Amino acid sequence: MENFRQFVKEYPAFTIFLVLALGVVAVAVFAPVIAPQDPYEAILANAVQPPGREHWFGTDKMGRDLFSRVLYGTRTSLAASLALVAIVMAVGTLLGLLAGYFGGLVDGVIMRLSDMMISFPGMVLAIAVAGILGANMTNAVIALSLVSWSKYARLSRSLALKIKSRDYMAAARLTGSKTSHILWSYLLPNALPTMLVTGATDIGSMMLEIAGLSFLGFGAQAPTAEWGLMLNEGRAYMTAAPWLMVFPGLAIFMTVVVFNLLGDSLRDVLDPRCSK
Amino acid sequence: MKDRQRILAVICALGMLISLAGCGGSGTEKNPKEEARSASTEEAGGKHLNFSCYQYSNSIDPITNVNASWCGLRYGVTECLFRFNEKVEVETAICDSYETEDFQTWILHIRDGVQFSNGNRVTPTVVKESLDRLYQAEADKTGNSTPSQYVTFDSIEADDAAGTVTLVCTGVTVNLPGILAYPWYAVVDTSVIDTQVIGTGPYYVTNVEENSTMDFAKNPYYWDGEVPYDTYRAFLTTDDQGSMKAMALQSGDVDLVENIVTASDLEAFKEDPAYYVSTTAGVRLGNTYFNYHGVLENEALRQAIQYAVDDETMCNVTVAGLYTAGCSVLPSSLPYGYEKLKDPFVYQVEKAKEVLDAAGIVDADGDGFRELHGDKIHLNYLAYSSRNLDDFAQAVAISLEAIGIQCTVTVQDYDTALANQSKGNFDLITSNATVVPTGDPTGFLGNFYSGNSDTYGYYANAQYDAAYEELLTATDKERQQELILTLQQILIDDAATLVHGYYNSTMVSAVDRVTGADIAPIDYYWITTNIAPVQ
Repeated sequence: MENFRQFVKEYPAFTIFLVLALGVVAVAVFAPVIAPQDPYEAILANAVQPPGREHWFGTDKMGRDLFSRVLYGTRTSLAASLALVAIVMAVGTLLGLLAGYFGGLVDGVIMRLSDMMISFPGMVLAIAVAGILGANMTNAVIALSLVSWSKYARLSRSLALKIKSRDYMAAARLTGSKTSHILWSYLLPNALPTMLVTGATDIGSMMLEIAGLSFLGFGAQAPTAEWGLMLNEGRAYMTAAPWLMVFPGLAIFMTVVVFNLLGDSLRDVLDPRCSK
Repeated sequence: MKDRQRILAVICALGMLISLAGCGGSGTEKNPKEEARSASTEEAGGKHLNFSCYQYSNSIDPITNVNASWCGLRYGVTECLFRFNEKVEVETAICDSYETEDFQTWILHIRDGVQFSNGNRVTPTVVKESLDRLYQAEADKTGNSTPSQYVTFDSIEADDAAGTVTLVCTGVTVNLPGILAYPWYAVVDTSVIDTQVIGTGPYYVTNVEENSTMDFAKNPYYWDGEVPYDTYRAFLTTDDQGSMKAMALQSGDVDLVENIVTASDLEAFKEDPAYYVSTTAGVRLGNTYFNYHGVLENEALRQAIQYAVDDETMCNVTVAGLYTAGCSVLPSSLPYGYEKLKDPFVYQVEKAKEVLDAAGIVDADGDGFRELHGDKIHLNYLAYSSRNLDDFAQAVAISLEAIGIQCTVTVQDYDTALANQSKGNFDLITSNATVVPTGDPTGFLGNFYSGNSDTYGYYANAQYDAAYEELLTATDKERQQELILTLQQILIDDAATLVHGYYNSTMVSAVDRVTGADIAPIDYYWITTNIAPVQ
């Protein structure tokens, strides 16, 4: 308990944002309990009702409760963003470490692939990939993964090059450690904090990109409760029923801010140079 | 040192802010070209109209494709030999009279004194050359328009002395005037067609900025009354679902817009006395085709769908009056006996469930969705976003879920959806089409004729086929009406297609600047001489 207090005292910003992030996760997990109504239950005659006692955020064009949909949207957006970050972090880190450690042909092939990916505008390429694969949430995550892994690969490669020249790495090689052991026990643990900080900071931006694809019609499809899609559905009512865009927009804004600041404060915790 | 860095940072931030602010616009500012044009018009004492419309094509040449030919008429540049009035009846236009004895040979008299906007006279020879060019472009594939779809000619003869064109159709063509009112058959000046599309309409094109604006000027030789505006500019938009046109009108950037597609915007204009909203029950049917080569071959299932869908609420609430609800494939506003039709499938959710239960279409495995012959029903509903069709699809899917039928809506772009429709890769597919393109519903009713219905879900009914075949050759007006009524009732009784309603075309104008801006039921006409500045 004393340690916990000490940690909170030492990292107050991280603690606050972690609690907020956990709050967002709790909303996603307990959405069925919190939501006052079924987000998919539509009463066509109740379309586009303004916010009121019965529908706190109003209703959408199909007469569905917007508050419940925004709450359920947390599930979709958060799950997709976490999955996306996990995929690109795992793939990018692995490829980057291999490239940095082995060098030569492996490095050349992986980095040229990475160069190819970053030579295209990311969102445009993601739209193209999602368009070819077909519009749904899984394909949106795949499309964004394809264009986002290179950043992690380049970062982990540079970390691997730095770590490779350390004395303990030379000692490990001299004592006959296997390559897999070196990669798993020396390279990865030393690169991981930086990768985790980068990943945590990226959750917010990935959430925005997924919402962006859904807004453009390449991600979640109706009637899924997803914030980007809800923004698109509300676009036609921007002047007459602004709540259709305001509440999903606010949900995106607040969640992205929380995860961005959590990523920043996580760096303070994990990076020894930033510690007090 | 640190202070200096901070000051530098603040200066940089301010610089960025100023740069970003410079990117914006007040919305009422005009670009230099615009200012120059407006100034010159005002100096000349001219009257100018700003109009915003959806951009269907950069071309107005009738041979290019359907959209281009429609644009020519809509912008008031081209005209046909005939035209449709507000009751969708054919009237004479460039042709002022005609005669036929056998509905195969038609003698059309070309109106005296009609001139193109470049001053060239419209003679029978010119009309013949225009028609020849249209068919030649189809034959050698230099254009995508397909005029032979409606009529082909054995011969076209021009007699300038008599002022007549004699058209000999390949077969009996009862509705030739209506066909010749279709935009493909617009008369253009072929002597200058390589450089410009010149028609006989009240305006001609002066400048085209592709995908952005088109400028028009008054045709000084116009034959049919005074042309109210000296110039007008069409602002083209590709925003088919948003509020761009509505906002342009509200901000005063334009004086007139066609077809507000957002229900909430339309409501706002209707409530605001500063705007005049012209609405007409159009000739466009919004419906969903069933695929008979799938689970929807089952009649009980189709009937249950008809019972389960509340078209009144969908038309009045979901799309807020952009459509008028109806039960037949031919709109209630057209004179085809809608009031005599009987709809046995009025909205009753419980009845829908009863029909399914009675047919053994029940939820045996308890997953909330019904099965047919032991297989779970999961309907593949294709939609495209034009004219609120995706809203209809979603509302139908919600309604079907309420009676235990699983349905997934996939919204595709128009071309992809059409390709899937042609291949039969659907259970249900939305559609919005003009049902009387030539003033006659025969062509549209052919979508359900077993010889043509492959693209529309493979519907087949021997009684329908017999009546349709008789309609093709019927020349007696009363018999035609009877047959059209019979065909409509057969489709209703068979639950052959899910009719949502009839699209209401709209035109909205600022009352302090524009008068006479009424939308025509058949949407070939936007800018007409009736639209004039407020005095």
